[in-house]
Amino acid sequence: MHEGSITTQIVESVLKEAKGRKAKKIVEVQLVIGKLTFLNSEQVRFWYEVLTKDTIMQGSKLIIEESEGIVRCPKCGYEGDFKYIDDPALHVPTPTLNCPKCNAVVDIVGGKDCLIKNIKMLV
Amino acid sequence: MARVKDVVKAEEGEVFDVELEKDVLKANREIAQENRTFLQKHGVRAIDIMGAIGAGKTSLIEKLVDKLKSRYRIAAFKGDLTTTIDAEKISRHNVQVIAINTGKECHLDANLVRKAFQKLSLDSIDLLFIENVGNLICPAEFPLGSEKRVVIISVTEGPYMVVKHPFIFMDADVVVINKIDLASAMDVSVENLKADVKRINPKAKVVPTNCRTGEGVDNVIEALGL
Repeated sequence: MHEGSITTQIVESVLKEAKGRKAKKIVEVQLVIGKLTFLNSEQVRFWYEVLTKDTIMQGSKLIIEESEGIVRCPKCGYEGDFKYIDDPALHVPTPTLNCPKCNAVVDIVGGKDCLIKNIKMLV
Repeated sequence: MARVKDVVKAEEGEVFDVELEKDVLKANREIAQENRTFLQKHGVRAIDIMGAIGAGKTSLIEKLVDKLKSRYRIAAFKGDLTTTIDAEKISRHNVQVIAINTGKECHLDANLVRKAFQKLSLDSIDLLFIENVGNLICPAEFPLGSEKRVVIISVTEGPYMVVKHPFIFMDADVVVINKIDLASAMDVSVENLKADVKRINPKAKVVPTNCRTGEGVDNVIEALGL
């Protein structure tokens, strides 16, 4: 949903980091995007290409790793994927806040991040 | 903030790796946390009101203000792309309202809310309603620092509003189902909508209302612990 503004922030952060290290060229940028964010990888790629044009990032490789949504159960200690509503009418599995193991209410602990994990630069 | 884990000095012309671990969404979450601390320090309870366009966010706030203003000193932030129409509606109930015009953005963010604090004397209020821009998607990504989040839907939006937008309901403390007087005309089951919320977020309290007459609004107050 906000790929344009978020990718702008990503590109600005990378360029700032590159400037501080006097890099000549950015070779590769690795992102981790949580599945619970509203960021679509395809659109991030599109904006990345547009925004890096005529910068030292132009032509750099963009690697996007998606991190799963993770919940933790305060009752039984389960940590992992959501429990989903398995209803064919909904076509896509709908996540719920019930623990897949004991049905208690879980807390969301992962999958909401948008990390710049690694940058490869030519100095 | 950027956290550099490993730095390897490179020779001229060498490619080297920078492990950055910088989270670009974290900035908003951090400001939200600052807002939360700031509100607590001033003894102000803040409630987010989120929902689609026309669901009844403003009407709900108007009714809540009328019922609560003898017990609380209330103010409201009203987010909209343009206009102060809704802000004026709420201010007719004799509470301070600050309109936050986002211009083109589809949601409020923690920074805009922090900016709006400057227009408000927080020591002269104890309850703040923050009405978000009409949208069931983007506000879920941007916490503002409130104590509780309310999502309001109405039966006129059809029977599938909850299952189509699961993420915002996961964040909700209270879900209001509005315009129940129109349910049979719309052929929408309030009970089914309620069950959909409970399936996705069993800890959310679900309250049916008719915000034109005020029916059910006392239950919203109770659900919010006000």
